[in-house]
Amino acid sequence: MNSPLTRRDFLRGTTVTVLGASLGFSQNKAVQKKSRVVLIRHRDVLDENSKINPDILQGMLDEAVMKLLDESDPVRAFRKLVKPGEMVGIKTNVWSYLPTPPELEAAIKRRVIDAGVAPDRIGLDDHTVRTNPLFVNATSLINVAPLRTHYLAGVCGCIKNYIMFAESQPAYHPDSCADLGSLFKLPQVKGKTRLNVLCVLTPQFHGRGPHNFNRRYVWSYKGMIVGLDPVAVDTIGLRLIMAKRREVLGKAQELPPVPKHIQLADTRHGIGTSDINAIELIKLGWNEDTLV
Amino acid sequence: MTGRRRLFFVAAVLLAASAAYLISDGGAVADFSEKIPKKIGGWAASGKDRTFNRERLYDYMDGGAEVYLAFDFREVWTRKYAGSDGREMTLDIYDMGSPAEAFGAFSCDRQDPGAGIGQESEYGGGLLRFWQGRYFVAITASTDDPATSGAVLGLGKEAVKTLGPPGAKPDMVAFLPPAALRPERTSYFHSVVNLNNRFFVASENLLRLDRSTDCVIGEYGAGGAEPVILLLIRYPDGDRARSARQSFLASYLPEAGPEGIARTDSRKWVSASVRENYLTVVFEAPSEDAAKKLGTSVKFPAK
Repeated sequence: MNSPLTRRDFLRGTTVTVLGASLGFSQNKAVQKKSRVVLIRHRDVLDENSKINPDILQGMLDEAVMKLLDESDPVRAFRKLVKPGEMVGIKTNVWSYLPTPPELEAAIKRRVIDAGVAPDRIGLDDHTVRTNPLFVNATSLINVAPLRTHYLAGVCGCIKNYIMFAESQPAYHPDSCADLGSLFKLPQVKGKTRLNVLCVLTPQFHGRGPHNFNRRYVWSYKGMIVGLDPVAVDTIGLRLIMAKRREVLGKAQELPPVPKHIQLADTRHGIGTSDINAIELIKLGWNEDTLV
Repeated sequence: MTGRRRLFFVAAVLLAASAAYLISDGGAVADFSEKIPKKIGGWAASGKDRTFNRERLYDYMDGGAEVYLAFDFREVWTRKYAGSDGREMTLDIYDMGSPAEAFGAFSCDRQDPGAGIGQESEYGGGLLRFWQGRYFVAITASTDDPATSGAVLGLGKEAVKTLGPPGAKPDMVAFLPPAALRPERTSYFHSVVNLNNRFFVASENLLRLDRSTDCVIGEYGAGGAEPVILLLIRYPDGDRARSARQSFLASYLPEAGPEGIARTDSRKWVSASVRENYLTVVFEAPSEDAAKKLGTSVKFPAK
């Protein structure tokens, strides 16, 4: 057994230090190129009733992807991700209480079309991705999910969003869903993910029991976290959740239940980086109460 | 007894046992479709009622089924209600197999004030949770306006009428020393998933919990102050209890001597001791004496 992360580690010091030391985030890892993650927020993307302004959301996606890829035009940026003639699957999330917003799905699809992919070659699916021909034959995938806590996995983000590609979902549940990172090595998925979009417009920072959703535990963060590396994106998402939990629930409840799958996606499965020192976080837009 | 008579006898016993289980404790979950009103105020049942057993629970709650499967969960019956303006409310009735297990499912995520429904309940933010007999019930609404709250509580009051008589809490709850105990914070469970959601100990299963272990956790001290935590675990045998203690001390409290007690960096004391097949762990005690006193105050059953 590796040295486990214990309650004492949390009570001993800051969470960042704890995660760096106890979850195996190597301080000495040879960093050739940092994994870039863009966090973008806009004060007016949601109105007082949490209704999304689709134009602002489209602008946020465009700006984030341009920054991510060092491009000055959103269509050119998306052409770096997908090519005309490809078949593209947009893996969304339809959890009824907090789904990927249709406005965000539409914004992504629009840019994939603008990049030259025929609309009838773009899939948008969650539960039936394993049999959907547009996903079975997809040459590229775009991964988009809302951020929330999860009773088993700790957090549900871009890594866990791929569980629908698994033949047996329960097979990934043991040990706090430790091996979710291996989903990215499945034949239907391996090497195909071009973009990861973690929707943090209204993240859920706490839950009580499985399937629990409660508006008390959701806040209008009005953001989006975008990256090529799903592990780096989820690492930033986890930090956001922890910061909000610390603020609302107190330090003792800072950590959602054992989000070990993010770190193991890096150290065991090698699909990205969870080392905060190897992540280049770029923050754009509204900067009030950013928390990370 | 001939083979045929023996077969008949066994079948009769099984039938009687099944009937006793169903009739005395609220009946089969499928019966709720008839017993529970399809209309509550301005809300009406929508879609088909559904039931999920242990094998099919993943179809209902992928990613969360393990939490109930760690208990003696049998079936869940679920119905959705739709309000006039598109709002939705979900009623879930879990047959947990026994009152002790129903209490366990209820106790692990308790947080809100009681609602006076069932044996124990809580309501807040559009979520009503309660237990009655062998059933654990959750009613979830996506909003929390007064009209929705009224419907959630009204539905809970109707549902509890169908659930049969009350049942007993797990025996281990009575083992907790009563002085300074916060009863509404007592939880009962079996698995490390529940432990870490209730009180994070470690990212690994240091205490070697599984479905064969019974755990009760109690909080001590005045409200507002950081509580002292008492975790009591019953293993199938003494060897497993001693092995779990060794595992816990090696990773969590390596500085502890044979007595299994030490002060941690947060200046709080932690202790772990075994008596027969029980492991007692005290966390966050303000002094060595307090840790020892609480640990030795457990009211173990007489042999």
